[in-house]
Amino acid sequence: MTISARHNILMRLRTAGAPRHLPPSGQAPASIVEPAQSLETCRDRFVAEATALGVECVVARSAAEVRARVAGLLRDATVLSWDAAELPYEIGGTLTHATWGHSPRAEQAAADVGLTGCDAAIAETGSLAMISAPGRSRIVSLLPPIHVAIVRSEDLMFSMGEFFARRQDRLATAASCTVISGPSRTADIELTLTLGIHGPGRIAVIVGP
Amino acid sequence: MATVQLFHTCLINEFAPQAGMSVVRVLERLGYTVEVPDAQTCCGQPAFNAGFQDEARTAARHTIAVLEATDGPIVLPSGSCGDMVIHQYLALFHDDLHWRERAAAVAARCEEFSSFVARHHAVAATAPIDATVAYHPSCHLLRGLGIDAEPKRLIAQVPGVTRVPLAAEDECCGFGGLFAIKHADISTRMLERKIAQVIASGAQRLVSCDMGCLLHLAGGLHRRGIDITVQHLAELLDRGDGGRGDGGRGGLASL
Amino acid sequence: MGTEVVGTEVVGAWPHCENFLQVSTQTFPLRVAKALDDPALQTALRTMSGHLRTRRAAAFESLPDADTIRDHARHAKLDTLRDLASNLETFEARVIANGGVVHWAETAADANQIVVDIARHHAVQRVAKGKSMVSEETHLNDALAAAGLSVVETDLGEYIVQLAGDRPSHIVAPIIHLSRAEVGRVMHQHLHTPLTDDPVTLGGYARERLRHVFLEADMGLTGANFGVVETGTICLVTNEGNGRMVSGLPRVHVVLMGIEKLIPTLADLDRFLKVLPRSATGQKLTAYTTLIHGPRRPDDDCGPQALHVVLIDNGRTRLMASESAEILGCIRCGACMNVCPVYTSIGGHAYGDTYPGPVGAVVTPGLRGLHEWADLPSASSLCGACRDVCPVRLDIPRMLLALRAQAAPWQAPAWLNAAMRAFAAVVTRPAAYRLANRVMRLALRRRAREGWVTHVPGPAAAWTTSRDLPAPAAKTFQELWRERSSTS
Repeated sequence: MTISARHNILMRLRTAGAPRHLPPSGQAPASIVEPAQSLETCRDRFVAEATALGVECVVARSAAEVRARVAGLLRDATVLSWDAAELPYEIGGTLTHATWGHSPRAEQAAADVGLTGCDAAIAETGSLAMISAPGRSRIVSLLPPIHVAIVRSEDLMFSMGEFFARRQDRLATAASCTVISGPSRTADIELTLTLGIHGPGRIAVIVGP
Repeated sequence: MATVQLFHTCLINEFAPQAGMSVVRVLERLGYTVEVPDAQTCCGQPAFNAGFQDEARTAARHTIAVLEATDGPIVLPSGSCGDMVIHQYLALFHDDLHWRERAAAVAARCEEFSSFVARHHAVAATAPIDATVAYHPSCHLLRGLGIDAEPKRLIAQVPGVTRVPLAAEDECCGFGGLFAIKHADISTRMLERKIAQVIASGAQRLVSCDMGCLLHLAGGLHRRGIDITVQHLAELLDRGDGGRGDGGRGGLASL
Repeated sequence: MGTEVVGTEVVGAWPHCENFLQVSTQTFPLRVAKALDDPALQTALRTMSGHLRTRRAAAFESLPDADTIRDHARHAKLDTLRDLASNLETFEARVIANGGVVHWAETAADANQIVVDIARHHAVQRVAKGKSMVSEETHLNDALAAAGLSVVETDLGEYIVQLAGDRPSHIVAPIIHLSRAEVGRVMHQHLHTPLTDDPVTLGGYARERLRHVFLEADMGLTGANFGVVETGTICLVTNEGNGRMVSGLPRVHVVLMGIEKLIPTLADLDRFLKVLPRSATGQKLTAYTTLIHGPRRPDDDCGPQALHVVLIDNGRTRLMASESAEILGCIRCGACMNVCPVYTSIGGHAYGDTYPGPVGAVVTPGLRGLHEWADLPSASSLCGACRDVCPVRLDIPRMLLALRAQAAPWQAPAWLNAAMRAFAAVVTRPAAYRLANRVMRLALRRRAREGWVTHVPGPAAAWTTSRDLPAPAAKTFQELWRERSSTS
């Protein structure tokens, strides 16, 4: 069925004159040049945009401060984490009793906090980009009600376009990529905002040195 | 003295000739000699919008022939008829090179009234009009021809006039030609919303550049016993009292 | 993996097989009358449209070069559509190279059968579904239920719609026609939750139940916002996180997409992502933008073992050959609904099919046939607000006019046909035209009292159901003009 369907659909599309009524595309519009932005600009904008989305943002000056802030956030919570080796600033070594992406799913689903790094922090929209990979389970940032993410300064980028360009190779091979812009939300009932409807309702980001 | 042709539109001819005379007086005050092509009938928009394209083309060919026999700019005191002649004729004749070229030549000479007047740096003359005025941007003027600042500027130039904003001013009033009859219940709901916004604005007068919207709005206000004067922009610019009477002295003067 | 059941069963998490979709059998005028006569709906529509319009306007203010980006988006869409066959072949090859399986469906029934076959092949029992308009179009839930599968909608709005046996009335805000109290009653009735009208509490109830659905489902179903030809990427734009759940947790992920969903490159995707969320919900980006390149890689910790992409025609090739071909560029943002004075008067259900509002008035006759759906293109004042707001600048009024022209020969009532014939006969003869107008003018003036006609007879009687008509003038403009010319 599907082979003849393929043939028939393509044939109908190719039938002479099929796009006859499609308006002309016209001249290609002028290209838009996005000027390169400094690290400081990216960091400031990222923090401003993410904060506006309801993300709790902290800029840490040293690796030790990142670790201390993470410890302060996690305290006694049960943690679902990326593999220790995938976390920056040697945070992995501080996790003593975490659940991992390869743990039984029931344990993962019971975690209070998801702990991740990220592949890019996009300044223009206050977003965190995560490309799936071994040890970087995509549900760590999804199942627990709280998501704590660590951003390395070198992963700050200004725009989504820059992210697509700079992470092209990994994007091409990974199974999936998620760009997270603020907490899970819905406004389906009378346009009233509800956070954390399925994904995390609370996101904390620590931007490291 | 330069000559302009006036395409007066059917609704002005039948329902609001005083608005047409105001158009004439305003144009004359700008220094033009106004000519009214005698053989003009209808631009064909009612047929076009109802899906009767052959009938619309018949009207369009006639209008093109009448207008191309004249000289100078052609002024249309209607955004709707203006959009028809300036844009939609080209669509009607998209596969008829001969008529498309003739339509394009006529379209290049056509201009909607408020846009034409605003280009002339006209200012209001002596007699002030003490009135709060709300402006209703008709859809084909606003979106079809992209004209919005011009009529607002002209209203603001009339001494004594305070222009008050309409909430959601760019929302359609629900006229839409045959739509107002065929889908009268939807049209009425849109009318009721517009009327509520006009009342909320506190305006004493409602001004627009399209007689279709104005008939619909005036009829709606009258049915509901609401005393708000409804007039074409030309009437406000003419003298501000609806153009009835003395032939007009206190309207516009050209710089 | 199907045995990895987490927690205890929650009452009502997985429903019995039911026939959920109710297809309206009322005529368009009846549906309109019903909507206009529903004060709660009227209030909801006004609030919704005002809110979303304001949000959209604010979001576009934050976008430099917005007009150029919209031009790019339009250009990319039209270019892709112009050579859609080759683009589909390339996309298919990329998806396969990424490890996915591609299926082609000519009709709604074919698409549904393909999904049922995939489910059987993978021994699937439980299906968790993300938001997909094309699945509404094919009535997929009915087909899955008939095949003995249990299927749950997981978008909050769609979940309520499914529980209530209702239909979505807006493509972005599916239950905009329901009040919070009605949502509370639906959940109370079907899920036995405590009666409340607090949206946050209601959302919590849904979260609790749907979480089990996500964790227990064998198969996830989603739509696709974009398919990127260059990379075979499927892009999902969501806010709740259910799209991530159903595409990431179950062992099988099935993507349903209309064949028109393609865009050329990731660079284009960047531009579309700048305009879609802004147009739809007034966000710079939705909470989740998910790019899918295939099933899980060998060492990945999670992700589906199989990815199936179903490319669906269901009338789109016919649309492509019609004067409405441009509508295939629609990216389903819903902005045209929020600004449409007709949609915001009558709501989504009045349109009678999957796609409401201005886009629906073009798509529905195109997909389902103009003969049964000619009311939709006629129910427009041609105000053009939809064309102005459209992120890809689709000329919807032009397409509505083309549909009216196609429908006119058989749809127009006899009086209109006669009037148009008469119009064409006199419009080229000024004297005859004046005479015809004079007859009408005098007839109306005879009915006028104090300058107003309060009852117009004949086919135009509907004018005076809600409005008076200013009486025509005693003398026409042409008469006044001639008098003035002769005296000066």
